[in-house]
Amino acid sequence: MTAYLLHLAVLSGIYVILAVSLNLIIGYAGQVSLGHAAFFGIGGYTSALVSLHFGFPFPLAVLSALVVAGTCGLGLGLPTLRLKEDYLAIVTLGFGVIVDLVFLNLEITGGPDGLVNIPLPRLGGVVFRPQGLYIVLVLLTLLLILGLTYSLVRSYHGRALRAIRDHETTAQVMGINTPAYKIMIFTLAAAVAGVAGSLYAHYITFINPESFGLHTSILLLCMVVLGGMGSIAGSVVGAVILAVLPEMLRQFKDYQDLLYGALLVGLLILRPQGLMGRGKLSLKFITKKE
Amino acid sequence: MLTLKSVQSGYGRAPVLKGISLHVRPGEVVTLIGANGAGKTTALSTISGLLPARKGAIEFAGQDLTRMRPERIVTLGLALVPEGRRVFRTLSVTANLELGAFYRQDKKQVRRDLEELRARFPILKERARQAAGTLSGGEQQILAIGRALMARPKLLMLDEPSMGLAPQMVTRVYDILRDLKKSGTTILLVEQNARAALKVADRGYVLETGRIILDGAAAELQEDPEVQRAYLGKGYREVWE
Amino acid sequence: MFFQQLLNGLTTGAAYALIALGYTMIYGILGLINFAQGEIYMAGAFVAVLLLATGQVNFFLAFLAGMAAAALVGVALERVAFRPLRGSHPLVPLISAIGASIFLQSLALLLFGPNDRPFPVQFDFSTITVAGLPLSTLQGAILAAALGFMALLVVFVRYTRYGKAIVACALDRDTARLMGINVDRMVTLTFFIGSALSGAAGIMMAIYYNATYPRMGLLPGLKAFSAAILGGVGNIPGAILGGLLLGVAESLGAAYVSSGFKDATAFAILILVLLIRPQGILRGRGD
Repeated sequence: MTAYLLHLAVLSGIYVILAVSLNLIIGYAGQVSLGHAAFFGIGGYTSALVSLHFGFPFPLAVLSALVVAGTCGLGLGLPTLRLKEDYLAIVTLGFGVIVDLVFLNLEITGGPDGLVNIPLPRLGGVVFRPQGLYIVLVLLTLLLILGLTYSLVRSYHGRALRAIRDHETTAQVMGINTPAYKIMIFTLAAAVAGVAGSLYAHYITFINPESFGLHTSILLLCMVVLGGMGSIAGSVVGAVILAVLPEMLRQFKDYQDLLYGALLVGLLILRPQGLMGRGKLSLKFITKKE
Repeated sequence: MLTLKSVQSGYGRAPVLKGISLHVRPGEVVTLIGANGAGKTTALSTISGLLPARKGAIEFAGQDLTRMRPERIVTLGLALVPEGRRVFRTLSVTANLELGAFYRQDKKQVRRDLEELRARFPILKERARQAAGTLSGGEQQILAIGRALMARPKLLMLDEPSMGLAPQMVTRVYDILRDLKKSGTTILLVEQNARAALKVADRGYVLETGRIILDGAAAELQEDPEVQRAYLGKGYREVWE
Repeated sequence: MFFQQLLNGLTTGAAYALIALGYTMIYGILGLINFAQGEIYMAGAFVAVLLLATGQVNFFLAFLAGMAAAALVGVALERVAFRPLRGSHPLVPLISAIGASIFLQSLALLLFGPNDRPFPVQFDFSTITVAGLPLSTLQGAILAAALGFMALLVVFVRYTRYGKAIVACALDRDTARLMGINVDRMVTLTFFIGSALSGAAGIMMAIYYNATYPRMGLLPGLKAFSAAILGGVGNIPGAILGGLLLGVAESLGAAYVSSGFKDATAFAILILVLLIRPQGILRGRGD
């Protein structure tokens, strides 16, 4: 039982990291990414590959995941972030499909079988086992990322980002370099998702393309919308709920996607600010544009 | 025919129109003049239903327009030639005119009206199949007026028909308005070009920052020293002439 | 071999084009992407297949019923997932459409199960030789029907009162209202027509691949969107051209480059188009 709770806690922690990073893109850059799981996957595969093939120690593997996912985010963001929201949504979705196909078709990624025997993280003499210390590793990473996110959104830069989200043209007139901000936030979010991928790969110890497809991207989107777009605390709550709820409602497994779909439409109509959004951090700002 | 009673409306929080009252009688040409930003376009948008009136009442031909949707208002016989002409650029000239009669069920009469209109404005026949966006500004203005006439309006409203046109086109457009007046069309004309508007109008209202500050017969307004100074530019002209 | 691939590409491309028309018309009038277009395609296929499976309905009636059902799903979708959100930040209807798409897909999964259903009616299709080239009559029939639908749509938009009114709403909503055009009704009509065309495409592909399943709309929907962008969003001939081109590119790419990346072709083209010529091949109104 404890092991099961620990398992849920670790998964929730990883989803919280992912949801928070996606919320940076949605709630602060005003863009929807439907390919966020691709960065999660890129991080996971990178981390696994450098550990398996080059014997990188865990910290270096995480760093590689961060750098490679971030670079991919930059590479995708640079040419595409000037597009309108809906175009970007499709481009990121297309990116997700392409990355998925790459995992599935390359030899080095193991095709549909994926990679196995990914080593558990070690620091000094300590091994972070799934039933043991792994949760500490996840929580520490999570706290670090939350701290960074909060200091970012509360800073001058955070205010600039909110200005972009709410009124891009006005922000530009005010002298905010909106493309640079959007690219920065997109790259950062991709890098953070890469870290989550690394944490996931070394926890599960085997990965395949299934975990990083469109389904995961949409699950992440649901977490953000449920918690409230633009609310960091909301993403934490949204991610935990949607990570834990399916486990508790196993007998309704078939209805899970139906529920997610209804949840997205229903929430946007009835409570667009999500569970936690309120005031200026909430989507209320976004929903009615005058 | 058309009556506005202390109408307030606007876009954001602060109202642009701060309670205006005016009326147009059948057969009259009435002009609403004022500087840029006085609220002239807002007034027409409110009458035609594109903007909701926050307070006050608008009545046309015995019907209350205050809560009516624009697509319904036009069926009562109130047509607007919008500011900047707003022709449907990729559609043909003929398609634009046909859309002007969209609500009408009397197909045969619509065909006759179209022929009549083409006889009156030959350009609309010459350019019949051309995309409206390829017409010159003046031609587009004629098309926009023709399109509004296709609705068989009891009252025709025009928003700055002279805006952005070459001087000879302004003369042409005002000749058309004079013809319409002769044929008994009731007109509410909004203009920044007060000189041209007051020449064709029977009566006028002067709008300043959302309020009507002056009204009277067009001839009187033309002679009013305040109007001359602020809207007809007489004072400056005398210095220069 | 090359000719066969070209024909394969044109056949799937015709389906992409029909779906792309729905995207483009809806984008033209509402300025938003209906992410659930692929699910409407799936709905059309399912209704036709289920009706035919009863053995009581003839083929043409089932085809029409499938199109009608798709049209109704589209209209209902607009009422539920889009209309209440008008005037919101563009992110909001976008996410709502994604939600609707997942909902419809999983609803189909619950109702019909995950397995492929074969098309209940077997046709006698053969290969004939036209000008020395082999032509499958199935592909010929699909292409002819798809081109027929496209021609009907073009005639409707160009020459009918309501067609012109839809264009007027797409060009200038306020002025259209001043003409007495009820924009809401035109939006409904647009969803109706666009969805009926997607439904027709769904039925054709259900025959072509002899398979109907809940997720069948996902990839064609996304590819058709790429086709709409390729042709210039809001541009009707562009959507047709974009769909056909994309189908051919995909088919030739799979034959001569790599079949594993077949599904990536559309997105690679999409990303390239957006980078190089965001207004599409034929200029769209979209951007």
